[in-house]
Amino acid sequence: MDGAGSEAASSAVEVTGLSKAFGARNVLHDINLAIPKGGFVSIVGRSGCGKSTLLRLLVGLDAPSSGRVDAGGAQARLVFQEPRLLPWASVGANVAVGLGRAPTASDAAVVQETLSLVGLADRAKAWPSTLSGGQRQRVALARALVSHPGFLALDEPFGALDALTRLDMQSLLETVWRRQGFTAVLVTHDVAEAVALGDRVVLIDDGRIALDVPVAVERPRMHGDPRLAAIEAQVLQRLFQA
Amino acid sequence: MTRFRGLGDAVLTALVPLGLLAGWQVASMTGALPARILPAPTAVFDAALELSASGALWENLAVSAARAMTGLVIGGGIGFVLGLVSGLSRLGERLLDPTLQMVRNVPHLALIPLVIIWFGVEEEARIFLVALGVFFPIYLNTHHGVRTVDPQLIEMARIYGMRGLRLFSRVILPGALPSILVGLRFALGVMWLTLIVAETIAASSGIGHMAMAAREFMRTDVIMLSILIYAALGKLADSATRFLERRWLSWNAAYAGGR
Repeated sequence: MDGAGSEAASSAVEVTGLSKAFGARNVLHDINLAIPKGGFVSIVGRSGCGKSTLLRLLVGLDAPSSGRVDAGGAQARLVFQEPRLLPWASVGANVAVGLGRAPTASDAAVVQETLSLVGLADRAKAWPSTLSGGQRQRVALARALVSHPGFLALDEPFGALDALTRLDMQSLLETVWRRQGFTAVLVTHDVAEAVALGDRVVLIDDGRIALDVPVAVERPRMHGDPRLAAIEAQVLQRLFQA
Repeated sequence: MTRFRGLGDAVLTALVPLGLLAGWQVASMTGALPARILPAPTAVFDAALELSASGALWENLAVSAARAMTGLVIGGGIGFVLGLVSGLSRLGERLLDPTLQMVRNVPHLALIPLVIIWFGVEEEARIFLVALGVFFPIYLNTHHGVRTVDPQLIEMARIYGMRGLRLFSRVILPGALPSILVGLRFALGVMWLTLIVAETIAASSGIGHMAMAAREFMRTDVIMLSILIYAALGKLADSATRFLERRWLSWNAAYAGGR
């Protein structure tokens, strides 16, 4: 279904002995994680458990105190919790920011194609201020995807959206991921979301991996599948144990 | 329907100024308001016709406008550049900002005696005063605008590989623009104020000079005309910035309302 070209662009992510300290405070201790090429890992945890720090280390925004992250040299992109669109640039121009260089005339087609991918083909000329919250986050997703990254990190990307829009965005993300075949890491505090989307759910507690459960449920997944509910219960139970 | 309502609005808006004007005219015609104090509106209009026919009005207007623009470009240009420097670099802020914040509290018109000693009553004196006056609002608002650009947007842009000039032109300058335009509007007000004072005190041409020369002959109609011209110029400058705001800030819902 998906092209061999985009498959080849994704890469495995290998994390070994990763630690991060800010001054005297240790945020992450000895994290080991191997994500296969094209895999989807969800990371959950309480606020301040270090999950966002882990994400920043994965995409190379911060340097680890010790240990290493190997993303196989693939281009990494990050989707923030807020859309962070340039309000003075059109939707299309905002997506073009994701190219990582000054856009040329020939980029218009790939920008338009990426906007279609997120269902906003007709809004290329609109100002971000005229879009709804969900649409803005779609633009942010398109901006991250326009350069066909091999690795996509998402930091609570749907956290600010209402429940129904969230579900829409989750299925959009799954569709896009299946089509483009990048390696994905999703940080979320919504355990149901983590279980619905991930091949695996990793629970981080106090800077350590407390739980790492596979979600062996075929896609597309149905809402309310009892196997998903069982995994969600397992993760929640561990989360509240602490 | 809406056109009718628009017309009604226009009538409503014009009601008070037109009423005042009519009252003024009647008071002048009945002699209740002597021409020595305030000339009739028709007399002011006649003065405008007379001075524009002789060319004196246009000459003085051109001189005043040229002074205003020269001062604005020099003072505003320096203010803009220094505002960028102190907004973009910590070192620049350390070096410039404390001094400028201190100096800005001195009313620039207090320098008039000194300026006359330096430049005499030459053109430079007036341009210097205008430049000094417009410098501070532009400097302060440029500095503030650059400083308050959303740091999350800057972080996003850096992650997507924007550096240097591209980061500046795509993110920092557009982000600072609303504040810079507020500074420009302030500066235009200061510009006319300074020019009026400077031309009234020491000048041999310009609208302010025209008013002062008219005083010697008790030509209240010409004085009134000068005042109205200043009002019109001020309004014109304000409209020009509003136009720029609508044009450059159309992405911002707060400015997109106007046509």
